[in-house]
Amino acid sequence: MPELFSPIDYAVPAFIILIVAEMLWARRRAPEKYEPRDTLTSLALGTGSTVAGALTGALVFSLAMWIYEHRVFDIGWVWWAWPLCFVLDDLAYYWAHRSGHRVRWFWASHVNHHSSQHYNLSTALRQTWTGFIALGFIFRIPLAFLGFHPAMLLFVGAFNLIYQFWIHTEAIYKFPRWVEYVMNTPSHHRVHHATNPRYLDRNYGGTFIIWDRIFGTFTEEVEGEKIRYGIVKQLGTFNLLWSVFHEWIGIAQDLWSAPWRHKFSYLWRPPGWSHDGSRDTSDSIRAQWLKSQHAKADPPANA
Amino acid sequence: MTAELLKLAGSIAAIVFIAWLARFWKLGGDVRIRSEEQAREIAHETLCGFEPVDIAIDKAGTAALMRDADGRHLLVRRHGVQWAGRLLDQHNESRLDQNFLTVGTGEKIFGSVTLNLGAQASRWAAGLRNLTI
Repeated sequence: MPELFSPIDYAVPAFIILIVAEMLWARRRAPEKYEPRDTLTSLALGTGSTVAGALTGALVFSLAMWIYEHRVFDIGWVWWAWPLCFVLDDLAYYWAHRSGHRVRWFWASHVNHHSSQHYNLSTALRQTWTGFIALGFIFRIPLAFLGFHPAMLLFVGAFNLIYQFWIHTEAIYKFPRWVEYVMNTPSHHRVHHATNPRYLDRNYGGTFIIWDRIFGTFTEEVEGEKIRYGIVKQLGTFNLLWSVFHEWIGIAQDLWSAPWRHKFSYLWRPPGWSHDGSRDTSDSIRAQWLKSQHAKADPPANA
Repeated sequence: MTAELLKLAGSIAAIVFIAWLARFWKLGGDVRIRSEEQAREIAHETLCGFEPVDIAIDKAGTAALMRDADGRHLLVRRHGVQWAGRLLDQHNESRLDQNFLTVGTGEKIFGSVTLNLGAQASRWAAGLRNLTI
């Protein structure tokens, strides 16, 4: 096994420099793109996430190694394994991410990344503390069973994470068409972070946007439509601990108060689902929005 | 272990520096609701499908109360340089003190909001008391 360095360790100084550069851009062009308290919360979430990862990472790695011992193929460390591993890991990321939005249990962890109403490079570092509890790793770990060494998975996963850092910006509009067709870009990821009904639960891709095109979850950014960022029910607070745990607390409250036959549904159904239909999911919001758009386009004849 | 702790200390130092820099460069700003049109736009952003038919803006412009044709009441308040809101129901408490109306959201973290609505305050207080939702 080759000795692998930690790509994140080398990337962190670049993250800091780029955040400062973007802040400078915001200072000149649009100071409201940054909010000091929001930035502080995002960066504290990022640091807490690395601590949580350090505490639980060894356990996940051990599990991956155990699975690797029962692997189907002996892929080893051949050169072509690296790009193949990166692409397959990105595909696994797509499904992990999609589930992170469509299953409340996973969302309770991933919501941390979305709860800022800002979209800037500091938002990229707004990462979860509870990924281990949410078991999000179960989507990517099967690659070890296929025969990719867990160290290789960790390495390409880190590059995927680094790639996703720079796309959290409003400072870049769009790239040439071929880039926008294949790669996840700031434009595609702005759509992903938007709460505009047309954009809800779209563009889950990590590095490549082609997965969204293949699996029918892609939406193009519409020029001239103001994007609102955050979550459907904005937190309205910069409280760090509330940002981390609010959805878990919401789940606990729902599990406590829901009738027995509906309790499990509060774990696996989409965020916003309720047994009495009193809340909105992204699907119901989009349906309501589409209805209003149709009504505007085709007003009743007697109106 | 020492290296890990040093990295953590470095991260915390970087966070403090960036947060300080954001303040030093006066990023953010002071947003206010200055018109009914703006309040309407915020309502649309806050709650899809909410079309205000009646709007009361706090004198300082930091919050607003809005009612739609179905009698639903939406409270929005400033959150940094953005806006956050809650749809109110009959369980939310409100308290009238002359021109000031304090509206509770039932959420400890979101808190209650006090709006200076001038002469309109009592009318909105009555509206909130009569919520049936």
